[in-house]
Parts: sequence; C-alpha cells; structure tokens
Amino acid sequence: MEATLGLRRRVQVGRARFGRRAPFEMSVAERLLISRLKERDEQAFNEVVRSHGDKVFSLVYRMIGNRAEAEDLAQEVFVTVFKTVDSFRGESKFSTWLLRIAANHCKNRIKYLSRRRTDGGGLDDMPEDKMADAGRAPLQAHIDAPDVLLEAAELEGLMQEAIETLDEEHRLLVVLRDVEELSYEEIGEVSGLPEGTIKSRLHRARMTIKEYLARRTR
Amino acid sequence: MDHQSAAELFSSFVDGDLGATEKSDLEHHLAICIQCRTELEEFRRAVGGLGRLKHAAPDSFLPQIQEQIFLRSRGRFFGRRWKLFGRIPFEWVSLAMIIAMLVYYILHLRGAPTGVQPVP
Repeated sequence: MEATLGLRRRVQVGRARFGRRAPFEMSVAERLLISRLKERDEQAFNEVVRSHGDKVFSLVYRMIGNRAEAEDLAQEVFVTVFKTVDSFRGESKFSTWLLRIAANHCKNRIKYLSRRRTDGGGLDDMPEDKMADAGRAPLQAHIDAPDVLLEAAELEGLMQEAIETLDEEHRLLVVLRDVEELSYEEIGEVSGLPEGTIKSRLHRARMTIKEYLARRTR
Repeated sequence: MDHQSAAELFSSFVDGDLGATEKSDLEHHLAICIQCRTELEEFRRAVGGLGRLKHAAPDSFLPQIQEQIFLRSRGRFFGRRWKLFGRIPFEWVSLAMIIAMLVYYILHLRGAPTGVQPVP
C-alpha cells in the first residue's frame, strides 16, 4: 500500500515537472476517420495521405535534405501508419502522432546515412549534390554577387545547408517550429520534450543557422 | 543589458513570448546598440527564410504508397480493380444478369415452337 502510494506520488511529481497536458479530446470526424483506418478502410487511408502528405513530406525532406531519400522515407511513414494505426490511442491529435512517427523515421535515417557515409567514406557514397561542395570549407566559401542571393533557389539551398549543420534533435525542432509552424505544445507532443527545453534548444539552433548564413553571405 | 543577454532573448522576442519588462529592456538596448540591431535583423531573416521552405509532396506520392502497401500485404490491400466492376457493387451486377437471363428465357425459349410435328 505504502509502495503504491509512493509510486503514485512519484508519477504525479513527474507529471507536474514535465507539464503534463490536459487529456486531448478528439473531434467526432477525427474519431470516425480513425475507426475507419483501424478497419483498414482504403478510402480513409487515402484521405489521410491527401490531408497530411504535404506536411509529412515537407518535414522529411527538410530533415533529410535529399529528395529521393525523402520520397522513400515519407512513403515509409505512411506504410507504418497503415500498419500500426491500432496502436493510436487518441491521447494526442492524430496529426501529431503521425509527425512523431515521421520524426522517429527521420532520426533513424539520419543516423543510418551518417554511418554509411562514415563507413564508406568514398566518393561513390556521397550524394551528387554534395559533391559540388565537397572541397570547400564553409568559412572560406562565399557568394560574390549579392543579387544572386535574392534568387529563391539559391536561398533555399543555403537554408537547407544551414539546417544540415544541426544535429537531428535541433534540426527537428527548427523544422517543426519554423518550417511547419507548429505550436510549442504540438512540438512537445511530437518530440516528447518539455517546453522550456524546446525553447532553449530552438534558440540555439536558430542562432547556429543565423551564424551559418551570415558566414556564407558575408 | 549587454550583447550576450540581449541575444539570449532574440527567439522569445521574435516569437512574441517576452514579458513586458524583458521586452522593454531589450527594446531599450536595441535603440542604443547598432550591433545587436544588426544581429536581430539577421536572426529575423534566418527565421523568416525557414518559413519559406515548405515543400509539397509529388503527385505520384499517394499511388506509390498504395503500391508499397499492395506489395507488402501481398495484394490484400489496394489491389487493382476492374474499371467497371470496381465501382458497381457486385450485387447489382448479379441482379442485372439474372433479369437479363429471365427476359431471354421468356422471349426466346418459352414461346418458341418445339419443332416436333405430331404424326398424322
């Protein structure tokens, strides 16, 4: 009895410390969609892909930085959703559950890709878009013509490079907040981090990106 | 407020999360510090640039996922359907066929002469 009470108290303290949120209430439409998904209704699944596909693809693309890998991985995310939708208990929004799956897939893929690059080390293992940049140190590199910077494609490439200088945890926070424009609460649900940690890590990540861009455009 | 503590507040300032006192302290510092103003401008540009990185999924995204699930489920889900019968319910097709057979029977078989002439 004592032990049970102690355990309950510890759980309550833990919940208070990590700012446990109020239980999430799903809308009727969402509940219906989930139950159809759990019955493996193909139309329901198509609806999910149509409504969340862009967000998931965008997240994965910005995390990985390679279009072909991102397409493959984003597909994998939805295959996982189709397979594991029974484990969705409705404690969070379906969209954040889906993004959590995407985030986990991304982290695993980044680790796998970095391992592959380290193990291989040869030019054959390096993606072609990175080869052009291979011999250039970021500090030495600069873009001479300022008007070129105004071109959207150039800027996008620079921003993507800046994101890729971050480790996967910081990268995820920046992409969720500044690219996908999620609220801190939603980011907390996806990443499992308390709000204070998210804010401090996000600030560090943004500063790193700012400094990278300043170096490259100076 | 020094440069370091001003820079620490940039994120909250950009997100509009700063308390009234901190906000006014930072604004006061920015009014007199050109270095921090420049840094904040660069910071804003970086965060704003990230907001333009959204990317739509390719058109082939859904069919490719369906294909993946079809292959991995060994044809259990997202199987290809005939264009016509994939959309018309099977029950309706069966009913239509039964009615067609009945009409054929009534018109051609029931009313037709047997062809056997009685022996006189």
